[in-house]
Amino acid sequence: MGTNRPDFAEFYRRSKDECLFTVLVSVGDRDTAQDLVAEAFARAWASWRTVSRHPAPAAWVVRTALNAHVSRWRRRRREVSLADPGAIADRPAAGETFDSPVDPRIMAALTRLPERQRQVVTLRLFLDLDTARTAAALGIAPGTVQAHLGRAIAALRADLMPERHKEIPS
Amino acid sequence: MTDDDLITLVREQHAGVEMTTPVEQIIVRGRALRARRRIPGLAAGALAVAAAAALAVTALLPASHRPGPQPPAQLAAWTVTKQADGTITVTVRQLRDPQGLQRRLRADGVPAIVTFFGHEPRACQRYPRMSAILMAEVFGGHGPPLVIHPKALPHGVGIQLNPLHHRHGAPIALAAGLVRASPGCTGT
Repeated sequence: MGTNRPDFAEFYRRSKDECLFTVLVSVGDRDTAQDLVAEAFARAWASWRTVSRHPAPAAWVVRTALNAHVSRWRRRRREVSLADPGAIADRPAAGETFDSPVDPRIMAALTRLPERQRQVVTLRLFLDLDTARTAAALGIAPGTVQAHLGRAIAALRADLMPERHKEIPS
Repeated sequence: MTDDDLITLVREQHAGVEMTTPVEQIIVRGRALRARRRIPGLAAGALAVAAAAALAVTALLPASHRPGPQPPAQLAAWTVTKQADGTITVTVRQLRDPQGLQRRLRADGVPAIVTFFGHEPRACQRYPRMSAILMAEVFGGHGPPLVIHPKALPHGVGIQLNPLHHRHGAPIALAAGLVRASPGCTGT
């Protein structure tokens, strides 16, 4: 382990699972997500002096992983077709069993959110970033973060509790 | 259910997802990334053109010859050198005699398929668990030349070499990937 990075291991231990889940929600495949997050953490280690000063290093890792995913998809677009977001939760990822604690209905609902809403949900709820840091990570205004979060929660409620949703007058 | 209940329910989902990659593996990969940044000419972009998560290795002309404990098969088109620790160095100067290179790699214990021109056999299937970290373990640095660590190959996995792109007069770029080893593809 790099002796000049004594806190990297602690950062990795503390945030790896949240980063993985955050990326998993976006890419839909557990092996792909794990590969992307591992590579992003390796880049964080290589640039730890800079990344450790980032206001939200976990958000840096997630953003790096998702950027790599976009680049990878662009390179492979002739070989790989996009998965149907609605079908993602219906098929377990490789290495994941059906008795995974992750509720497939909730995963499906998350993957059906518009991209920006999903990003806000994952950063706010899974990485536990506050509104200001989420806004900084996504390059949008704090008010926009709150608006996206409100819409996302409404969409999740409608998706996960449709009957209950109908009972509530808008 | 209140909004807070819903948020709690969604938040709880991540408890079932665990990142299993050991931190030591992350650091090994991080060191490789940092080392690559320090080598002039191999900075960012060296892998940018690597398609399908393949590893691009540029074999510059003329290739330097690294002496190993075994006498290398010094041919005009390519050179394969097996080191004492089992690592294998491949330098390609010309896209000729892929069958010979393939035989040499297989003789050195690497299940390999080499296709300089034409299509790979239908029996070849990409190794589905190919990852950047595994690629770094099998292929070590990012060349030139191409270095293969056969001991890092998982059981039942072979390597695939094919030209990434080649223009007359330009350095030869190889794409190295991982495939499922099978008699119809890698010989074993």
